[in-house]
Amino acid sequence: MNTVLKCNKMTMRFGGLTAVNEFSVEIPEKEIFGLIGPNGAGKTTVFNMITGNLQPTSGMIYFYDKPIVGLKPYQIVSLGMARTFQNIRLFTNLSVLENVLTGFHHKLKYNLFDTILRMPKFSKNEKIMVDMAMELLESVNLKDKADFKASELPYGDRRKVEIARALATGPKMLLLDEPAAGMNPQETLSLMYFIEEIREKFDLTVLLIEHDMKFVMSLCKRIAVLDHGVKIAEGKPEEVQKNPDVIRAYLGDINA
Amino acid sequence: MKRNQILTIGSIVLLFLFIGYANGHLNAYYIRILNNTAIFLMFAASYNLINGVTGQFSLEPNGFAAIGAYTAAILTLTPAQKEAMFIITPMVPWLQHIHMSFFPALIVAGIVTAMVGFILGFPVFRVRGDYLAIVTLGFGLTIRVVSNNTMSITNGPLGLKGIANYTNLWWSWGFAIAAMIVIMRLINSEFGRAMKAIRDDEDAAIAMGINTFKIKMIAFVTSAFFEGIAGGLLAHLITTISPTLFTFFLTFNLLIIIVIGGLGSMTGTAIATVLVVWGSEWLRIVEQPMHIFSLTIPGIPGMRMVIFSILLIIIMIFAREGIMGQKEFSWDSLFKLFKTKKVANK
Amino acid sequence: MNLTIVLQQLFNGLALGSLYGLIAIGYTMVYGVIRLINFAHGDIMMVGTYVAILSGSALFLPWWAAFIFTILATALVGVLIDKVAYKPLRNASRISSLITAIGVSFFLENLFLVIFGGVPKAFPVPAVFSGVLHEGGVILPVISIFVPLVALVFLAILMYILRNTKYGIAMRALSLDMETTRLMGANVDAIISFVFAIGSALAAAGGIFWALKYPSINPLMGIMPGLKAFAAAVLGGIGSVPGAALGGFIIGIIEVLAVAIFPPLAGYKDAFAFLLLIFVLLFKPTGIMGEDLERGRF
Repeated sequence: MNTVLKCNKMTMRFGGLTAVNEFSVEIPEKEIFGLIGPNGAGKTTVFNMITGNLQPTSGMIYFYDKPIVGLKPYQIVSLGMARTFQNIRLFTNLSVLENVLTGFHHKLKYNLFDTILRMPKFSKNEKIMVDMAMELLESVNLKDKADFKASELPYGDRRKVEIARALATGPKMLLLDEPAAGMNPQETLSLMYFIEEIREKFDLTVLLIEHDMKFVMSLCKRIAVLDHGVKIAEGKPEEVQKNPDVIRAYLGDINA
Repeated sequence: MKRNQILTIGSIVLLFLFIGYANGHLNAYYIRILNNTAIFLMFAASYNLINGVTGQFSLEPNGFAAIGAYTAAILTLTPAQKEAMFIITPMVPWLQHIHMSFFPALIVAGIVTAMVGFILGFPVFRVRGDYLAIVTLGFGLTIRVVSNNTMSITNGPLGLKGIANYTNLWWSWGFAIAAMIVIMRLINSEFGRAMKAIRDDEDAAIAMGINTFKIKMIAFVTSAFFEGIAGGLLAHLITTISPTLFTFFLTFNLLIIIVIGGLGSMTGTAIATVLVVWGSEWLRIVEQPMHIFSLTIPGIPGMRMVIFSILLIIIMIFAREGIMGQKEFSWDSLFKLFKTKKVANK
Repeated sequence: MNLTIVLQQLFNGLALGSLYGLIAIGYTMVYGVIRLINFAHGDIMMVGTYVAILSGSALFLPWWAAFIFTILATALVGVLIDKVAYKPLRNASRISSLITAIGVSFFLENLFLVIFGGVPKAFPVPAVFSGVLHEGGVILPVISIFVPLVALVFLAILMYILRNTKYGIAMRALSLDMETTRLMGANVDAIISFVFAIGSALAAAGGIFWALKYPSINPLMGIMPGLKAFAAAVLGGIGSVPGAALGGFIIGIIEVLAVAIFPPLAGYKDAFAFLLLIFVLLFKPTGIMGEDLERGRF
């Protein structure tokens, strides 16, 4: 099977502080991979290096064998990597439909002149984009709320819109930053099915950071554990759970 | 869809019919206010594009108006006029001999200003933060220093006189409406959605694959282009320009307009332009001596600006949405309003 | 150009630079805690000079008492501006507070224009500050020696407060994370008021020295020094107090030396700081001593 994402000795230093130290991982196609660790372990820093928001101090990152260190975040998106945020970040003053439409931005087929002169190319492609966005919204059961302002939606729906918006960029890989944060057990369960469902439907590889252990354990095929910026374990959920280093790092946090 | 287009085109036709009437029937004072309204509308719509729609706070209009005004004026002045006017230091030869008619001069003014916008935007948009405001504020102050000192281009503090009085209601409203159409079309496209996305959450916009540098640049350079043309129109309306003319007061007026209209709403901007331009004519009263019975209250020069700044602060604290918020007027909503009223009447 | 002239210009640059530095500290501190470019900061300096004149002519205070009164009163003005105009917008979008800051700036300028008129007022310079030193061919106004020294003393006191007092530490915590600082039980509003008080007090000190050096004041006098001080704050690294002081010194020296070396540039001297600001943004946006405050926090 193809390797989708490969991190090789990725390191991030802020001044004197080493946030992530020589983190390596390989994620094969269509896997749901979990990255866990106590607060401040450097999970989000790993995310931000992969998405191009931070430049690693040293180390390499490959996306489908293409090195992506040094690329701008928007360039990495156009290669087929999309993300969501821990504290859902929708465009609050845009409608649900418009939120999803922004996902098509990097594949835009008309230019400024088509826009200003309202060439046929403009109207044709606007229509295509709206149709595609509506289709996406239908697949997340939000078609009837397309014209709502994003800020008017309930919490669970917002997470879905955020994921739909990420799907609109046409990703091969989806990065989810604590997708279940702030959700009740019921919402969490339905989110789990939802992630599994879209992974099937869109042929996705998924990397997710999560605090909710049950969520990670039941959803992910493999897990890596980060503590103080160092990877202390990697493997199947049941193996990782028994690892004494992990138990030591997590004690307290795991019971919470 | 079709109905709305017809209504919009119909309203524009009505506006120009009115202008045709105004041209022949109104006195010079009212025609001047109507010209001012059009030029301010053009300035304010452009200004709202970068501030309200894209959410990048900027203070560029007075500096960009100066660039546009000088460029257009230098291009339409005849070589003989320039030779007579540049008495201290002769004008540089290539500018001395260049001469154009009004329309191309305005377009060149727009392009030159757009280029200046690009040069200012380049260092600012590469970094995060609110530097655009301070860089454009600094530019407005610096442009005065520069135009005072580049005697062989701007004639320094003496300014340019005898600029042809080309700007009439057809030109000013023609350009204002054209600018409104271009800006509205830009907003109602993927480019506009990207601008609003950057305003709402820049990090999320980046994560959507939006090249934020490019989108901010499109908004700012478009604003600059139309502000340059508006500056050129202004120069050919008042016929005399000098470095002290383009003060921060112009920018401040526009800021009031876009805040009252609603940051991000173009139709709100249009309503507010009319309110502010006409209202500030009316406010001139406070600066003139007042006679109440036998009591004479001396006029307070500068009081208008104090009132304006208090007004701005109060609106920002208590009525941040302005008249329209981020919404636009649409025919659909007007019809909806009528319908509900009819139902209510029954 | 001989050494004495270079030395003399260096001193002039240092004096001018310390004024920029004193003003820049206020910009950088306010930006550090609430991420606001306080456009009114240069105008607060102007307010300080008028308070100084009035406390001499209307309150009949001796110069030293007038200076202390001015610094305290201006600090109060700064705190009031924050309470009235900025505090209600703390949770609003950034553009709202920026627009309000411009409104406050324009308000102060025009209010003082209405009250005092646009005609510059002479600033009475106490005899102590008006002397001139002759030392080996170098001619130095006393004020040019005095200003950098006082600026350094102020900087030292401020650094001590920031590093060693409860308020200073809370202030630095606030600049990293307002919510957490609030949760830790610190009185965030009091800290922000304290920042405005210190920033405005230093601006008032800068204003007084400015007026002693150039003894003619007008309601628009704060605009240019304000802009240059902001450039100094960015050059030094916005958010960094020693950076702001250093940036001020650099801009002051560049401005004076450039004109001394190329006299034809004299007319453009007000444009240098602006060009420098652009260059800093292009090549080192985090400034000399700054950290990247704007890095996306996820």
